[in-house]
Amino acid sequence: MSMLVLCSFVFGLGLYVVLTRREIIAILAGVELMLGSANVLLIGLGSLSGANGAVIGSIGLVVLVVAAAEAAVGLALVVSLSRRSKRSSIDELLEVKG
Amino acid sequence: MTLATLAFALAALMMVGGALVVALTRDLMRLVVGLGVFLLGVAGLFLFYGQAFLATAQVFVYVGGVLVLVVFAVMVVHRSNGGRPVLTSRHDIGAAAVAFGVSGMLILSLRDSVGGWEPVAGQGGVSLAEELLGGHIVVFELLGVLLFVALIAVLVIAGSGERR
Repeated sequence: MSMLVLCSFVFGLGLYVVLTRREIIAILAGVELMLGSANVLLIGLGSLSGANGAVIGSIGLVVLVVAAAEAAVGLALVVSLSRRSKRSSIDELLEVKG
Repeated sequence: MTLATLAFALAALMMVGGALVVALTRDLMRLVVGLGVFLLGVAGLFLFYGQAFLATAQVFVYVGGVLVLVVFAVMVVHRSNGGRPVLTSRHDIGAAAVAFGVSGMLILSLRDSVGGWEPVAGQGGVSLAEELLGGHIVVFELLGVLLFVALIAVLVIAGSGERR
């Protein structure tokens, strides 16, 4: 129960950060909180249910790599946006032009 | 209190403390430090559940890679801004209600998934390499392709502004 409450609370904190912050870097940090807590929940539930540790580790590694790639692309978008508008607020993305 | 419970509590404290700093601070560099503490707590919980390789990868990839990337992004963005890195936020009751409503929903929906609730020491992950390079070799290769594509996308996105 402690692991489930912990991961759910941290997931909620990440969602709160995503909903309330305006800086894109802070929003990315909130997404990292959500992904990290979901990965811990996956590993913890797999471990508590007695599943094969290697399979759980493989799936956790997939989540970790996808999250790292997401963070890298998101930060590249932040840098590109700051070059265009000299700001890094999410309000700059309200009007997107092709 | 057993040693395993103490280890779980320490990692959980790092996770929650780092996440609270990320959620509440107004200083961008403190947010980065809080994110680092959170990621170290996640690595500690991976270690607690017997996933030593995942814990090592978490420290190398996130604390050593992504966090440094975040610091670089903060430096680049706020050098071009010329301002002090201060965060703005819209704290309100509605966002907190939605966020912690989702938390409660997760707890209620998953509470019957596992019988034992107490933290237990995990099993060893010594066969992870056999699993990754054996039955899951295609997934492992696809992860490499995904990282390669992400690297090219980062170069295209961040490098396109240089030509203007």
